[in-house]
Amino acid sequence: MNKLIFGRYLPMNSWVHRLDPRDKLTLSFFFFILVFMANNWETYLLLSIVTLFSIWMSKIPWHFFFRGIRPLIWLIIFTVLLQLFFSPAGSHVYWQWGPFLITQFGIVNSAYVFMRFLLIIAMSTLLTLTTQPLDLANGIESLMAPLKIVHFPVETTAMMLSIALRFVPTLMDETETIMNAQRARGVDFGSGSIMKQIKTVIPLLVPLFVSAFNHAEDLSVAMEARGYQPDTPRTHYRQLVWHRQDTISWGFYIVVFIGLLALRQLP
Amino acid sequence: MKTLAFGPRKLSTLQVVTLGILMAAQLILSRLTIGNQYLRFSFTFLVVALMAEWFGPFWAAIAAGLVDIIGTVMMGGQYFIGFTISAVVAALIYGVAFYGRNHVGWSRIIVAQLVIAVFVNAGLNTLWLYLMYQTPIWAILPTRLLKEILMTPIQIILIYLLLNNQIVQSLKNRL
Repeated sequence: MNKLIFGRYLPMNSWVHRLDPRDKLTLSFFFFILVFMANNWETYLLLSIVTLFSIWMSKIPWHFFFRGIRPLIWLIIFTVLLQLFFSPAGSHVYWQWGPFLITQFGIVNSAYVFMRFLLIIAMSTLLTLTTQPLDLANGIESLMAPLKIVHFPVETTAMMLSIALRFVPTLMDETETIMNAQRARGVDFGSGSIMKQIKTVIPLLVPLFVSAFNHAEDLSVAMEARGYQPDTPRTHYRQLVWHRQDTISWGFYIVVFIGLLALRQLP
Repeated sequence: MKTLAFGPRKLSTLQVVTLGILMAAQLILSRLTIGNQYLRFSFTFLVVALMAEWFGPFWAAIAAGLVDIIGTVMMGGQYFIGFTISAVVAALIYGVAFYGRNHVGWSRIIVAQLVIAVFVNAGLNTLWLYLMYQTPIWAILPTRLLKEILMTPIQIILIYLLLNNQIVQSLKNRL
């Protein structure tokens, strides 16, 4: 099992690290929209420069970004090849064999798809490397606040989210312990036929759920003893503050957005 | 009809905490996959099915959606709102089928899992891939359908074994 689950955050003191999590979350969503709007090589160039600039501002070593791409490399290659070989005919055809054909349109399109993958992965890697999980959870909670108008249980949901993040390492250790205990009694995880592997899952899952439930009972009693009631308004110890640099970074992306709109008009 | 209790049912503290910890379990299980290089899958659907049976469609959908967002954002994957919609829809389907039952029989599990396999996994997810990368739908749909045909029976059996496990049912009674 891969231990790299929430160990991705890199503590550093850069300009990007100090940004408000709400700012970084909304900015990365905004950037994804920008990537979907790009339609010619000028726009992709602009977005690449923006991405490189954001990475440079974060002072994070480059190899961390290659590590983010590695697990997705097969999906990228597969998609790019599909684009390359199955593009609709209509433009100049370079090569053809049965249903496979390479056209000018196909080559250009697969290059765009490749760029799109790269940009989106780089930006989301940047978000996770520069923001602590708890800050992200706080940011998400704060961004969900408007949903209170439609009686969405924001407070309860936020509490669930914080509990989930807090218990990921604990449950991870326990999963490991359960797996080792079952291994010691002869269960062989991750080998044999698929049916055999599936049979090893129930002896892993049921103890995991039992221990999760025991944690839940203890924690809920302790929380109630300290006066917690679901769905009642509470104050917050961790306050998110919107600084001037957050406004500046949004301003920068708005400028990029306007530039992108202009470049989109180019043929 | 209790099955169609869609509204945000009020949760007790124990239920809030249990949902939170089950979300953590789902995040962990999403990292644990089995299979060979042709077919791999994780067991997150089991946690979603469990949340759906215990807490109903509304809360299962919220939890599944949040886990999808947090999971992709924190593991550095590329986020796309479509896959969150898929997760929410799948949780809703499980919830409608399983919630409020003392015993979840084969028929309910088979119908729910088939609807999810066809409509969510093969349908919606292929659509999202197309929207994201303009991958030609007809080129990826056959492999995705084949994967669903192989996986759906396995998922049905696992859900049945888990939801009707005596220990898991005794946990539900303590809730």
